[in-house]
Amino acid sequence: MAQPTVAKQRAASLGPVGAARSKRRKAGVVLQPKVGMLLVAPAFLFVAVFVLFPLAFAIYISLTNWPLIGPYHFAGLHNYAALGKDPGFLHSVLFTLLYTGIVTIPILAVGYGLAVLVRSNRRGAVFLRTAFFLPYVVGLSTLSYIVLLELQPNSGAVNFVLAKLHLTNGGTTWLVNTNLALAATCVLVIWFASGLTMVLLIGGMQSISGDLYESADVEGASWLDKERYITLPLLRPTIALSLIISIIGSFLAFNQFFILTQGGPGTSTFTVVMWIYQTAFVQLHVGAATAMSLVLVAVVGLISAVQFLLLRENT
Amino acid sequence: MASVAARTRRVQKKGTRSHGPINVYVIVSVVLSVVFLLPLVWAVLRSFQPPSQITAAPSLKDFTHLTLANYSGLINGNIQILRYVENSLLVATGTALLTAVLATLAGYGFGRTRFRFRGANVVFALILVTLMVPFQAILTPLFLELSVLHLLDSRIGLVLFYSTFNLPFGVFVMRNNFLAIPNELDEAAYCDGATVLTTLRSVLLPLVTPGVATTMLYAFLFAWTEFLGALPFITNIKLLTLPVALLNVETGTFGQVNFGYLVAGAVIAMVPCAVLYVTLQRFYVTGITVGGVKG
Repeated sequence: MAQPTVAKQRAASLGPVGAARSKRRKAGVVLQPKVGMLLVAPAFLFVAVFVLFPLAFAIYISLTNWPLIGPYHFAGLHNYAALGKDPGFLHSVLFTLLYTGIVTIPILAVGYGLAVLVRSNRRGAVFLRTAFFLPYVVGLSTLSYIVLLELQPNSGAVNFVLAKLHLTNGGTTWLVNTNLALAATCVLVIWFASGLTMVLLIGGMQSISGDLYESADVEGASWLDKERYITLPLLRPTIALSLIISIIGSFLAFNQFFILTQGGPGTSTFTVVMWIYQTAFVQLHVGAATAMSLVLVAVVGLISAVQFLLLRENT
Repeated sequence: MASVAARTRRVQKKGTRSHGPINVYVIVSVVLSVVFLLPLVWAVLRSFQPPSQITAAPSLKDFTHLTLANYSGLINGNIQILRYVENSLLVATGTALLTAVLATLAGYGFGRTRFRFRGANVVFALILVTLMVPFQAILTPLFLELSVLHLLDSRIGLVLFYSTFNLPFGVFVMRNNFLAIPNELDEAAYCDGATVLTTLRSVLLPLVTPGVATTMLYAFLFAWTEFLGALPFITNIKLLTLPVALLNVETGTFGQVNFGYLVAGAVIAMVPCAVLYVTLQRFYVTGITVGGVKG
């Protein structure tokens, strides 16, 4: 259902002028461009007031020493220059990159595996799709609270199960050790996010023509051959798309670390967004935090632009 | 010749589908659904344990004394969780309604040939560009702006903020929905003397209901689960939304840290999402394939 509407939308966006002209020739049709503007205005107003204006305002703030309360003065590019000397910010950048590096491939791999499992219309496929996607719908903050409880050293289910399997002695203190906290959070996020990748990939897989597989079958191709020589190459744009969505999500990580570790031990598990939040709302250095934010906007915007181009090729 | 090959293939395929890897499929499916669902089911079970058991060393006898103590404590104790459920419901419903109205009007404006205006594509692009601006990255200017507008510590402020960030997706979905309807349909109604809004309400709205449902579902779930924006924008403890109120349960703002309350609260936050998604999932999945982006 999605495909034809997207196609139609593209067709329309390609030739608005031509379409309008052909309409005008038809008798009895009144063109009402002003009504169009009025209908679109409220939505545009919201975007202008709560996105475009703040974005422009952010550039201004980032050039000042803006404290949350009190007077401010112009500071030029000082905030940007200071970013390179802020060990907390630099560490949060490295930590976020490390975290992204760890979770991206497993999310794709698990998501791909799930998609392969449920893409057909076999019995139970609908139930399975629902099950695999449910963690994503429930949301990362709720999942984090649940996991927090089960990671408690003496009462949580994680240590209990690991001890029963004789993998650990059952006394692991997950959230006060940087590596263990990161590992636990990564598992949580893979559980949360691979359902989204699955849904995106199923969409891509279902748009591959069945004829290709049929002729491959005639040639006697194995399941693995078909996956490797038909599905994977044709799925490349969708895979790229889901990778980008997942990477942006990781760059913006906040909830899971804020709830599970509060950035600790020390500041070792601060992500970039957490550091921005801390700088702005705890240390009250709004100017500096906004400079960091704009760097993040630039990075995410760049990745999104790539995604946009892919989407256009894709549809 | 190719068609003959294809036909034999089709016959073969029917033959192989019913047996063969079916057992592997069943086993893998069962294992994976347990892995994905058990933690959620487990949390529900845990929420019925007495608080003493939740913080004690786990044992297999733990589910013999199930109780509603955590829920009644959350509701009647000093946390008064229902206040936050109400806040979240108001904010999420408000967001869903406002997003639906704005996106439907804009989709109507963008999606009908007779409403085409100069610069429509630019305006549409500007709205879509918002998809590329993560709200996480403009929290500080938004905070200052909301403060000037007296919209901090305000549920209305949250609704406006959440609706805006759901608009690009909503407008995109609604525009597609309107474009899929032939222009002649409402032009006929219009020529018969119906006004712009009557045409929308009585002719077009029934046809774009699936799009409205998708938009509302996304907006509701977004607002219901949103955490980072609600954290700095609401400081009055009475106005917190559920995810942030649970943070206060975690950190002990309400007094002693109580994991029983925390897990019961998490279950309360989880249930509406699960119910809405399971019952309305066809609208949800359409949204993902159309919109692509929801991180």
